[in-house]
Amino acid sequence: MESANKRKTFLLLFFMGVLVWSVAYVAITAFGGTGAGVIPLAVLITLVSVWGSYFASDKLVLKMTRAKLITEADNPNLFNVVHEVVIASGLPMPKVAIVNDPAPNAFATGRDPEHALIAFTTGLLDSMDRDELQGVTAHEMAHVANRDTLVSAVAATTAGVIALISDILMRMLWFGGARNRDHHGNQMPIFLAIIPLILAPIAATLLKAAVSRRRESLADATAVSFTRNPAGLRSALEVLARDTTVVQARSNAVAHLYIESPLDTSAASKLFATHPPIRERIEALRKMEANPLV
Amino acid sequence: MDISLLIIIAVGLFIVFGILQYNKLIRLNIRVDEAFAQIEVQLKRRADLIPNLVETVKGYASHEKEALEKVVQARAASTTASTLPAVAAADGALTNALRGLLAVAEAYPDLKASTNFLQLQEELSTTENKVSFARQFYNDNVRNLNTAVRTIPTSFFVGFAKVGEREFYEVEDPTIRNAPNVKF
Repeated sequence: MESANKRKTFLLLFFMGVLVWSVAYVAITAFGGTGAGVIPLAVLITLVSVWGSYFASDKLVLKMTRAKLITEADNPNLFNVVHEVVIASGLPMPKVAIVNDPAPNAFATGRDPEHALIAFTTGLLDSMDRDELQGVTAHEMAHVANRDTLVSAVAATTAGVIALISDILMRMLWFGGARNRDHHGNQMPIFLAIIPLILAPIAATLLKAAVSRRRESLADATAVSFTRNPAGLRSALEVLARDTTVVQARSNAVAHLYIESPLDTSAASKLFATHPPIRERIEALRKMEANPLV
Repeated sequence: MDISLLIIIAVGLFIVFGILQYNKLIRLNIRVDEAFAQIEVQLKRRADLIPNLVETVKGYASHEKEALEKVVQARAASTTASTLPAVAAADGALTNALRGLLAVAEAYPDLKASTNFLQLQEELSTTENKVSFARQFYNDNVRNLNTAVRTIPTSFFVGFAKVGEREFYEVEDPTIRNAPNVKF
């Protein structure tokens, strides 16, 4: 299950790379070089901003989600639960934070396991028993172990670059269209160029969502490889499925980090969802409980 | 390209490949050592908690001599064990003895209510889980090492790296093996 998920992630990221390349190709051939100077600059800006936020990600995420770091003395039982998962996984002990919010949810962030942070809402700590809490902790640490913040950053950068290039080119099409018709050589008809430019950002967003869903399923499987207790995580997801409250401090930027998607699920279609449906995840875990050797 | 250049490139690639396999075996072996050290750390934590537990129980249930004695003896045996089978056996005996003592404590409501005992219970419970996860982590690493040692192509470099298969950490009592989460 885990290696299939990883393979599919690489495939999806590969398609994103192909997408960026195609858009860049359209750019260069459609405008024979006039756009060429701007695009590397735009790409540079995107890279700097995304990678900058990636490196400062834990401080940034703490501010955005209003999470507060805690010490072992503040909540020894929670630290014990996290420490047990640390031993089972061989990962370093992450920083632990709490978000004051009645909606049960949790997230993990950090560029690598040495700089990881896990946060739990007060709602989650109140509504879960020890095994369920441990399942959630293992899921979050699995995200850290699988470098999901890195994968998300790559996916987000690629989607951002595509959107940026498309945007710039669309503007150029409006203003520079008349002049370009005089050029000869590798000129692509303008109307053919428009289609990929409109579709590319949409495709990039779809791919980004697909990557995110794969990584969620992978995190569930990795979590079980840590705790050897699929029932704990499954039970936790059932608790989350029953609860309908949603975390307050949420946004598109951090939605994919949470264990349960905090965005309004009635509006979001299945294609754009950052998480697989909770029923699917519960089913997958039930299969693991029934068949522990797989 | 003439043949001698091809041969040099092939030999170069083989050397690089050999280095990678050698390092892989060494790294996996070191991880097994680290994982075993982790088990010992957790076992020591548990051993350190026990005198306090014994004293607390004695305060309320001093005539439960048999259960208390078992724990004290099992603890003493665990501190002298050093080889893996001896450590595993002592670990199993102590876990059993602790279960027996805590089962006995169930009959004493005053003891169960005391904050001292409740705190000890939580600490013992988490330490028992940590011992269990440490055993699991050790066995995972042994499995990775043994798989590398026995599968081709890494198996060719085993003699060169002087790394061999390691034993799994096996605990006798099947109930201990099957219960990753202990709730006393």
